[in-house]
Amino acid sequence: MTISRRVFVQSGGLALFSLGLDPLFLARAAFAAERPQRSWGVSDHPILICLFQRGAVDGLNMIVPHGDPFYARERPRIAVPHGDVVDLDGHFGLHPRLAALKPLWDSKCLAAIHAIGSPDATRSHFDAQDYMESGTPGVKATPDGWLNRYCQHDQEHQDTPFRAVAFGPQLPRILAGTAPSLALDDLQTFGLRAPQPATRDRLTRAFEELYAGSATGLVSASSQEAFEAVQLLKQADPGQYQAAHGATYPRGKFGKAMLQIAQLIKANVGLQLAFADVTGWDTHVNQGASEGQLAARLAEFGQALAAFAQDLGEKLRDVVVLTMSEFGRTVRENGNAGTDHGHATAMLVLGGPVQGGRVLGRWPGLDPSSRFEERDVAVTTDFRDLFAEILARHLRASNLAAVFPGFSPDPARFPGAIRA
Amino acid sequence: MKRGDAVTALTSERSDCQYNRMRTQILAAAWALSCIPVRGGGRLNSPLRPTVAAAPPASLTPQDSALHALNRLAYGPRPGEVARVAAAGVMRWIDRQLAPDRLDDALARRERAFSLLTYDRRDLAAVYLDVQRERRERQQAGDTMADRPLETPRAQQGRRLAGEFEQLAAMRAVLSERQLYEVVVDFWTNHFNVYVAKGADRFLAPDYIEHTIRPRALGSFEDLLIATAESPAMLFYLDNWESVAPGSTPPAGPQVRVRPFLGRRPALFPPPRDPAQPDSQRQRALERQPKGLNENYARELLELHTLGVDGGYTQQDVIEVARIFTGWGITRPQEGGDFQFHDWAHDRGEKRVLDVRFPAGRGQEEGIRLLKLLANQPATMHHVSGALCQRFVNDDPPDGCVDDAVVAWKRSHGDIREVLRAIVHGADFWAASNVRAKVKTPLEFVVSAARAVAAEPDTTPRLAQVVARLGQPLYLHVAPDGYPEREAAWVNSGALLDRMNAAVALAAERLPGVVVNLDSIVPATEDPERLIAAADREILGGTMSDRTKRVIREQLADVHDPIRARALALGLTLGGPEFQRQ
Repeated sequence: MTISRRVFVQSGGLALFSLGLDPLFLARAAFAAERPQRSWGVSDHPILICLFQRGAVDGLNMIVPHGDPFYARERPRIAVPHGDVVDLDGHFGLHPRLAALKPLWDSKCLAAIHAIGSPDATRSHFDAQDYMESGTPGVKATPDGWLNRYCQHDQEHQDTPFRAVAFGPQLPRILAGTAPSLALDDLQTFGLRAPQPATRDRLTRAFEELYAGSATGLVSASSQEAFEAVQLLKQADPGQYQAAHGATYPRGKFGKAMLQIAQLIKANVGLQLAFADVTGWDTHVNQGASEGQLAARLAEFGQALAAFAQDLGEKLRDVVVLTMSEFGRTVRENGNAGTDHGHATAMLVLGGPVQGGRVLGRWPGLDPSSRFEERDVAVTTDFRDLFAEILARHLRASNLAAVFPGFSPDPARFPGAIRA
Repeated sequence: MKRGDAVTALTSERSDCQYNRMRTQILAAAWALSCIPVRGGGRLNSPLRPTVAAAPPASLTPQDSALHALNRLAYGPRPGEVARVAAAGVMRWIDRQLAPDRLDDALARRERAFSLLTYDRRDLAAVYLDVQRERRERQQAGDTMADRPLETPRAQQGRRLAGEFEQLAAMRAVLSERQLYEVVVDFWTNHFNVYVAKGADRFLAPDYIEHTIRPRALGSFEDLLIATAESPAMLFYLDNWESVAPGSTPPAGPQVRVRPFLGRRPALFPPPRDPAQPDSQRQRALERQPKGLNENYARELLELHTLGVDGGYTQQDVIEVARIFTGWGITRPQEGGDFQFHDWAHDRGEKRVLDVRFPAGRGQEEGIRLLKLLANQPATMHHVSGALCQRFVNDDPPDGCVDDAVVAWKRSHGDIREVLRAIVHGADFWAASNVRAKVKTPLEFVVSAARAVAAEPDTTPRLAQVVARLGQPLYLHVAPDGYPEREAAWVNSGALLDRMNAAVALAAERLPGVVVNLDSIVPATEDPERLIAAADREILGGTMSDRTKRVIREQLADVHDPIRARALALGLTLGGPEFQRQ
């Protein structure tokens, strides 16, 4: 007999609780019965981590086009000096505070893509983030996010509560929708809190039973997912986690989110999609060059990514990390030694399946005549081309048209971020 | 149309009209009699003042309708309140809530504990500027602890004031007798959202809430719109203060200053220039002068504040609106950051918005004309009425509710009180399908739980921090759309678990920042039936499901300590599924 996860939680599991049997053992048994063919996360189980640089990162100071003569000319106060850039290919280089990523570049696990962005011209953070998460530029009415639509249309993994996890107090737009997904702020405190484990377990069972009786709808579905996750997580014992291979995550929210993503991957709870925000990129004033405000954000960003890769070690072969940001910033520095809202930006793709060591995309140049509206980096790659490639080649998604409605994904336009 | 006709028209649309009209007339007579002395005071000048109280539909019991009103028009019932409102008549309670000035509110005594309310913009600016200076000095001194919080008296004062700001909202929501007023204040706070952590809004936002939003929350929408447009907090938040006519230059002399406003976190203001280089400083000051239009406010004004995203405006309208608001700026923060119209920065050319011509040569007054035009557009009435119906009736606002609100809006020229009255007198508000149809936001959940256990919050920000932990840090929604009203934004697995934790802590008297009074619900007892009956009656207004009763009963079976038993029963009730809904 195959026990479905939902049936187990709704009835069987609860009945057995009252008999005093170990629910975790049964949870494992139920999962095993259901999926005998796969041991999670061990072999070829592909995982995608999406990181959103909210506030519009200055792609030009992240992946520096130091070979473009207009770069230094347009940014007298904030250009990263040629000598400081960590050169990648003679034309582009990493911001010096991203130096921690250079070994990943050298081992071909890291690719950058430049001049990528939205076909929609909005310079509103609000709209542009919305479009990047809904996957439908220019269409606000789209009810769900593209990661959630992927889950809806590719149901192979749908039976673990940890399939899609967002780190933060709210479920982001990108994961909103009818497919189950989990929002959690902190693995350590996820679940009911009580001084004694016995009290905690008792509360957990009581609330689980209370909510199992609640009407259908989001409250019912979300609470069910929550209790399933709590059960699985208890088995994984997140309190015991130690980063491997000497990896040190930077202090702060983002480092902690990356650590917890690594933790979930290693816990083999079926994680397929993870999402986290990293903020502080809206550098209108005193952005800085090799040092300063943006440099500090990039340092934390780069160190967290490098620590994550180091921590995962061998497991990185199943993982792709994709960074995104709603738009880029003006080519020319503004009057406040900062940059204003622009158009195209740069994104990073990191992981074992990545065809790395290359800056992808067509570089439009910073010559004013080739800029978007004569001021911003022009978009030469629609962000959906990159997202679609990762879904298709890494997660082996079969129905891209449903994930990106109104868009025709075409492998000929894929930027080539993933090894075919 | 006189008020009485309006109510008759509204009630007669309902199916149970005959019975209701009789009740209405009886209640109306009673209400009119009881109100005569108060009305003699003449404090309210609306021509559409309440003269009658309609009755809720007979499909809801007095108890159910009292609970529904307390859930939607208040932050939930306090112990005994459902019974009191049901006995006095729910429509009478609603009419009293719609005239909050006449409600005796002991809140003023509580508010005196919040020193923030004694600070004006200038005082607050002074605190923040001092802290800024101290932080700068520490950085210049090469302090290796420069990323640690500053511990000077001024910095502590600043943090205390910031904490008071969020706690004040939580305290008022928990304790005020003017519940509907506080709910409506929260609605407008989100409709005209500003983000307190953006630069100067750290010291502009408290004044914005106290003196822009709160005095106008139940007044005229047009007045409220104009007040927000002129508020330094909004001018700063949506960047209009630095939007100038392209090519305009400020008059020479003292107008040209280093503009010390633009700091982002963590620095409120940019670090100082080298004082040895005045030329460079002046040069930078000149470079910092805004050079053209900023469309940010113009876009959000049309999209969020008035017409709505489908309100029929174009990108060219956005640009023309931005041109009209050029010159709407603020004075220096040292001077309190007051509203100031800069004539030199104003675009004096002709503009066209929504096919209405704004002739050349006009100044600040054309902005006011535009705001009045926008406030009275049908698209604005529909957009804002829809948002109100979403808040008060259903996440997917019923057309009938919006139509009723728009009719009242037209009739009353945008009197918010009358629009609300039309909504709560409409059939949709009382429809069984809309009762308990909404999930509480984190603020609504925390405040209603605190009210349910007769909690007294203190002046520390700890109760507000519970709201923040559940995902809704007050005044910290960064985008201009305000916190979402829809269930999908708030219901997720992690958030639900956090709610359960908060509920358990509150019922166990372990939630810091509040003193609860569980005795007002039920004295401690190990008798499960007494605990269940009291929790059902006082917290859930009699709507506890059989399943919930059974689960609580099972959980209490082996708990023999009366204090623990009561805490467990109330914690499960507050954290359970029924209490998440309103």
